[in-house]
Amino acid sequence: MESWIIATDTARLGGILTAARQIGGHVTAAVVGPRSLADAVAAAGPDHVRWYACRDGAPPEAYAPQVAEAVQKAAPRVVLSSTASAGRVLLGAAAAKLGAAVVSSVQTLAVEGDIVKVGRAAAQGKVIETLDAAGAVACIFDGEDVAPAASQPATVEEVRAEDPGDSLRVVETSPDSGGSAGLRTAARVVSAGLGIRAKGDLTLIQDLAAALGAEIACSLPVCDDMRWYGPERVVGRTHNQIAPDLYIAVGISGQPQHAVGVRDAKVVVVINNDPKATFFKICDYGILGDLYKVVPALTEALKQVG
Amino acid sequence: MNPMKIVVVFKFLKNPEDARVGSDGSVDWRGAKMAVSDDDPAAIQVARNLAAAGGEIVGLTVGDGDAAWAAARGASSTVIVTDAQSNPDAAATGAILAAGVRRIGDADVVLIGDSAWDYGVSVALASQLGWTALAGVSSATMDGDRLRATRKFGDSTQVIEVARPAVLAVFASRAEQDAPGMKEVLAARKKPQIKLTLADLDLTPADRVISRGTKLPDTTAARMIDGADPAAAATQLVTALRAEGVL
Repeated sequence: MESWIIATDTARLGGILTAARQIGGHVTAAVVGPRSLADAVAAAGPDHVRWYACRDGAPPEAYAPQVAEAVQKAAPRVVLSSTASAGRVLLGAAAAKLGAAVVSSVQTLAVEGDIVKVGRAAAQGKVIETLDAAGAVACIFDGEDVAPAASQPATVEEVRAEDPGDSLRVVETSPDSGGSAGLRTAARVVSAGLGIRAKGDLTLIQDLAAALGAEIACSLPVCDDMRWYGPERVVGRTHNQIAPDLYIAVGISGQPQHAVGVRDAKVVVVINNDPKATFFKICDYGILGDLYKVVPALTEALKQVG
Repeated sequence: MNPMKIVVVFKFLKNPEDARVGSDGSVDWRGAKMAVSDDDPAAIQVARNLAAAGGEIVGLTVGDGDAAWAAARGASSTVIVTDAQSNPDAAATGAILAAGVRRIGDADVVLIGDSAWDYGVSVALASQLGWTALAGVSSATMDGDRLRATRKFGDSTQVIEVARPAVLAVFASRAEQDAPGMKEVLAARKKPQIKLTLADLDLTPADRVISRGTKLPDTTAARMIDGADPAAAATQLVTALRAEGVL
């Protein structure tokens, strides 16, 4: 069975490609964006890459009708994208042309006879639901980003795209502020939540960050309600999504809006005095205790390690 | 400039946070309360901003929940597709919503919360309407006659001019500010509610996917350390982190 991947970025690319390979057939990637993106996707190892370069001022979504038509002609059984906004719009357009089902939070794919079995996260990730698709299915992939099996890079075919017109026109682009950039590339991050009771207590966070050589981040309410840090320090779905080697969450309950910001971190440590904190269910290490005692103790222990 | 007709889609669901999972992976939804999607307040806030330049807001919802939700927040009327069922196939929900938008007629913009509970609904709705669409939108304004939407794109923020009619799927970046007061809530119940069924819209329930049940995910549990002795806990953690190679 054939599958298509629609890519507007490299998020979860390995995981998406691995899922596509479970279907067993030819894998084509439709890439909408710069040549560097097409090359990155090709390197991951689909069988073929069809690349749509975005004309000046045209966002990827402007190419939805053309990409959808190409998918319709190829009639794959499965179409995949990441959760990236632009990729989803393109996937939606392709699904409508195919008359395909659209399933989100997809974690796994498999084939059983004529049925495509889609495993998707449900009830806020507390369970995996298995769905049987008898026909074409478009999947918004949100599963583990496993490294794909080693393979030859695909050939990149540049599609001679038609002018997408002016329904969508980028009139302004502003890069995110410098604070974000430091946070985005940091190997270690210490993050402050509402468990911190007073602004003066942030010295605990600063000392731990200094001992670790870490950047400081925070949860959304610490910025919006307490105004202790600016939005460039916020980790979460609508602010910074980061992938450090080590993320230490201090006094953060771990609501999905925040937790999704660090789902690609290598090691997540949670320090919280609430045994029911959601973050404990998804972290790697959890310390159940009073952060006002645990954080200084941790800072001290790190200084001794040297 | 002609006054705009803005449709705001809102959706009440059983709050997945309240769902209880058994050791066999089965889900008990009985204790779950209905809640509006996290992003819907942001979507109707954008609607109010756009309507301020001259426009009418119409609410559109499916299934159960507080049918007066949009009316309490600025909608002059609401259309409800009463017998629409929850469906893991977002294309099915998209088709129902698209039919609702077409029934309302002459909409310039459709706003919908771009909910993490199902990232497929907003894009399925847009593609079933065949309209220009943007997802992950944080805000939108009218610049004279033109619609401008702001969204994050990689490491940047973009402002995009959008031709109408269009679907904008909105991300909330904060909890609802300025929730309606009792006065708005009571007045909302008096605003017109148009109830439709799938049959009224010439739709039959779609069954492109069939659920085969749920199971627990294969995740390894967190290593919990008792923080009652902070110094011991700290040492234990540091040792473990060194072994993981992150220190």
